[in-house]
Amino acid sequence: MAAETLKSSTGAGGAAAVRRLLLDNGALTALIVLVIAMSALSGDFLTTDNLLNVGVQAAVTAILAFGVTFVIVSAGIDLSVGSVAALSATVLAWSATQQGVPVVTAVLLAVVTGVVCGLVNGFLIAYGKLPPFIATLAMLSVGRGLSLVISEGSPIAFPDSVSHLGDTLGGWLPVPVLVMIVMGLIAAFVLGRTYIGRSMYAIGGNEEAARLSGLRVKKQKLAIYALSGVFAAAAGIVLASRLSSAQPQAADGYELDAIAAVVIGGASLAGGTGKASGTLIGALILAVLRNGLNLLSVSAFWQQVVIGVVIALAVLLDTVRRKAGATPVAAGTGGGKGRQAATYGLAAVVTVAIVGATSFLHSGSSSAANPKVGLALSTLNNPFFVQIQSGARAEAKKLGVDLTVTDAQNDASQQANQLQNFTSSGYDSIIVNPVDSDAAAPAVRAADKAKIPVIAVDRGVNKATTDALVASDNVAGGELAAKTVAEKLGGTGKIVILQGQAGTSAARERAEGFAKGLKAYPGIQVLAQQPADFDRTKGLDVMSNLLQAHPDVQGVIAANDEMALGAIKALGAKAGKSVQVVGFDGTPDGLNAVKDGTLYASVAQQPSELGRIAVDNALKALQGKKVEQTVKVPVKVVTKENVAGFSG
Amino acid sequence: MSNADELLRIEGIRKTFPGVVALDGVDFDLRRGEVHVLLGENGAGKSTLIKMLSGAYRPDAGRILAGGEEVRIHGAQDSERLGIATIYQEFNLVPDLTVAENIFLGRQPRRFGMIDRKRMEAEAAVLLERVGVHVSPRARVRELGIARLQMVEIAKALSLNARVLIMDEPTAVLTSEEVEKLFAIVRRLREDGVGVVFITHHLEEIAALGDRVTVIRDGRSVGQVPASTPEDELVRLMVGRSIEQQYPRERADQGAALLSVEGLTRDGVFHDVSFEVHAGEVVGIAGLVGAGRTEVVRAVFGADPYDQGAVRVGGARLPRYDVNAAMAAGIGLVPEDRKGQGLVLDASVEENLGLVTMRSATRAGLVDLKGQHEAADRIAKQLGVRMAGLGQHVRTLSGGNQQKVVIGKWLLANTKVLILDEPTRGIDVGAKVEIYQLINELTAAGAAVLMISSDLPEVLGMSDRVLVMAQGRIAGELPADEATQDAVMALAVSTPSTPTPSEVEAGRGR
Repeated sequence: MAAETLKSSTGAGGAAAVRRLLLDNGALTALIVLVIAMSALSGDFLTTDNLLNVGVQAAVTAILAFGVTFVIVSAGIDLSVGSVAALSATVLAWSATQQGVPVVTAVLLAVVTGVVCGLVNGFLIAYGKLPPFIATLAMLSVGRGLSLVISEGSPIAFPDSVSHLGDTLGGWLPVPVLVMIVMGLIAAFVLGRTYIGRSMYAIGGNEEAARLSGLRVKKQKLAIYALSGVFAAAAGIVLASRLSSAQPQAADGYELDAIAAVVIGGASLAGGTGKASGTLIGALILAVLRNGLNLLSVSAFWQQVVIGVVIALAVLLDTVRRKAGATPVAAGTGGGKGRQAATYGLAAVVTVAIVGATSFLHSGSSSAANPKVGLALSTLNNPFFVQIQSGARAEAKKLGVDLTVTDAQNDASQQANQLQNFTSSGYDSIIVNPVDSDAAAPAVRAADKAKIPVIAVDRGVNKATTDALVASDNVAGGELAAKTVAEKLGGTGKIVILQGQAGTSAARERAEGFAKGLKAYPGIQVLAQQPADFDRTKGLDVMSNLLQAHPDVQGVIAANDEMALGAIKALGAKAGKSVQVVGFDGTPDGLNAVKDGTLYASVAQQPSELGRIAVDNALKALQGKKVEQTVKVPVKVVTKENVAGFSG
Repeated sequence: MSNADELLRIEGIRKTFPGVVALDGVDFDLRRGEVHVLLGENGAGKSTLIKMLSGAYRPDAGRILAGGEEVRIHGAQDSERLGIATIYQEFNLVPDLTVAENIFLGRQPRRFGMIDRKRMEAEAAVLLERVGVHVSPRARVRELGIARLQMVEIAKALSLNARVLIMDEPTAVLTSEEVEKLFAIVRRLREDGVGVVFITHHLEEIAALGDRVTVIRDGRSVGQVPASTPEDELVRLMVGRSIEQQYPRERADQGAALLSVEGLTRDGVFHDVSFEVHAGEVVGIAGLVGAGRTEVVRAVFGADPYDQGAVRVGGARLPRYDVNAAMAAGIGLVPEDRKGQGLVLDASVEENLGLVTMRSATRAGLVDLKGQHEAADRIAKQLGVRMAGLGQHVRTLSGGNQQKVVIGKWLLANTKVLILDEPTRGIDVGAKVEIYQLINELTAAGAAVLMISSDLPEVLGMSDRVLVMAQGRIAGELPADEATQDAVMALAVSTPSTPTPSEVEAGRGR
């Protein structure tokens, strides 16, 4: 079975062999269909550079998925791999950068972290008789929590010697791709040749039969989950070295991508089947899809829909093929007509679906004359950033610029992928709204190297050159917010602070501003500071909890309007009467609340203004005109008196 | 053709799977009020044929006629509409629902949109009465024994007003008493005009119950004969040759005691079980289902714990509840539930054969795949496993060949004491004899065999000594020449009181 990994890449053994390979492997067929569709739709897709990009972008998911393959083959599930990856990377960075541990020892520590997490999973499952879903769900939370504890919520710089893992070898071969291939070969070897690998298939196929045949099932399970932990640690290290920083929030949700990759690759969640080669193909399908949709400038929201549909179709293709072929292994010789027809039919459906969807969702034909500008936003799950987008779009239309917007869903590594895609498909200028100021640096440096002007918006990029930073000052805004609430309360009173998502720069900077501003008012007593992740629902929950503990609260400072609006819901009639709430951002909902009087004030940034000015500067930069290093967009406190003058 | 009594006619049915022709030109017909036995070796195509009638498969060629009209059966709904009900070997019951709910699953009587429990239970009670089983309609199916599950299945079929009832080896899992009960029910159904398709491997059941017999061999119907046809003739039709002897036991020289079990007890399950098994000997364990036979051998093998007593192999005491220690001492277990416990169904023949020896074939964590392949190839040839190749999934093998694979993995491990739990359940006559030959070879080579079987002629025919268990205790021991069906049954239904009767002395070893 070790050879099967290689087979997928060297399938040039005669047309008949290729045809049989495709028929026997639905996922590979789906991948090829996807690649053909993407190359037909985008001239930028089928270039060496871009294909290597796809490899890099698949690497982390693939490495995680190799580990998960072990677990799924043995009829388990591992939800903790994303968290364990983040924890291992954080341990590495923390011990090497902050504790002065030698780098080699730090790497070892990171791997040990992965092993320990895996062993705990395995112990809970094999000896504690917990269902794997629950045990690893617990570890998902524990791992994420520990990495936040160790890093104190901030990204930690990765030691330079390890960061080379994110570089390229000989100027073209990206190290993550190399690591992915090596880990894939190891996974194929483990599954195919080793005792533990063969045990995985037996245990997954029939645990009781395996036990009665003398397999030490419990010990094997410990080892299986520990192996998954090792692969998670490796994935975490690769991820962090690409971003040159260990992010406590990294790889959030990657466990689902990894599981999807394994299942797309032909493994059954019921256990007993699955191959490393299939898993690699599954990871590549996901990466090709994301990369291609970026290149085709499909709207960020539709991308998620398309990805979901393709995952379902890829697995459907495989199950239909299997059903038609009854026994995939035994029936290696040719195959029935029904089976072929089913495969071709589904392949056609997939192609039509992808081609149709992408051309339908294609945001207008891109005439060659217009300059192409990419806008990489951290998230579109928040009105503030949606407004940046609309401001930018309006300006782009006015100036005749082709604007492509991507949504990183607050995932620094996904953003790095998107920036890489902009660079490799030759955009004229890039506007980046970094998920994390440190993590965006390597991708921005690559754009610099390709002589593409980069404009940062809202948040800066550290350790890389940007042509301009268009931002409002979060620290100053934080100070303003503190001042506003303190003065409203007459300099004395009890307040609570709702913080943003731990680990993001906006949360850190605004918190810093609040603290600075409150220093001038010793009469203000801060009863509690709790994170509510910039989220309205969480703001509501956290505020309700805080009210139980502190019914006498008089003021609330929230690090954005969404949380402020959540807090207002929790406060009910108290809002604006006995409790003064101050938000941040000046979003339309926030401003409405200011009009209504429930929100006392919002420190308004002007997000659409940010977007507008960013596009303006991007165009200037690509035309070679001079742009200012930092463009400050004014921040203003909006209260009922002046709200009429603001429209966001 | 226009026979008014004809319920069902199948003409020239053909069905292929990739690489296999499962059925090729099968003819069959069923009349009102008859029991038509389908006879054939495992793998002959009986299951495929009835799956056409229940709508699980569609034929590639040929016609199915119901009441003289050609029909297409594309799913369970179609067959239900035609009044065809099938009772498979694996029951289709939901364990955590009640008997009444299972009988009316999906068709529960309703009142104002709510399930009318009262009416449902009353109707279920009538059906259960008709089947002649004393089960409360409110009992949970999980709590019922296998015989009662089958009765519930029959009641369910009756509730559908089935005109055709297909029963796939219904007697395989029943004790002889239960078989009698089942026959009574089937006879009553026949009187009511139901046509019954009955699959069995027990030839004596044909004369007892059947009217006509259709024999299927290698996917073809090779003959239709009356049920009064002599057994030899039926066997010849079925296997295409005559089988000389049904139980070809060849006694080997008895050697030293290999396995001795002393006072083995698990509270509430089995008590003070003691016996010895010698080299070259086949010891049979007979008894009713539920007598604790399987539980005892699983405890001996270390698959389950026990509370008191000891298991010794060659004088050395085995640690309790430790499969690996038992294996190291040379014990092997062929479990009762072949598919659930004996095989990894979606793995290949080769992988299943190598399961037990995988550890010893491992050096520095790497499995010697080449050596494993050679060993599997050798043993598969030796056992005559009929397969497309070592890579075939065992799920697609017939029952007899599956069992050969389970036994084969223990042969590869040089097992000295082989425990066989119902080794021939659901296996056709030809394969049975092959397995008996294997037992002979084992004992001739100095190994010992401990065999549990509910098939009395088999226990009597193959054992050198018979232990009879009743209610968790050893009720008695009979040497081969004294063991008759009557003697064994008398012990099996006895109520063994405190320490086992004197017959057991020989096996005590204290």
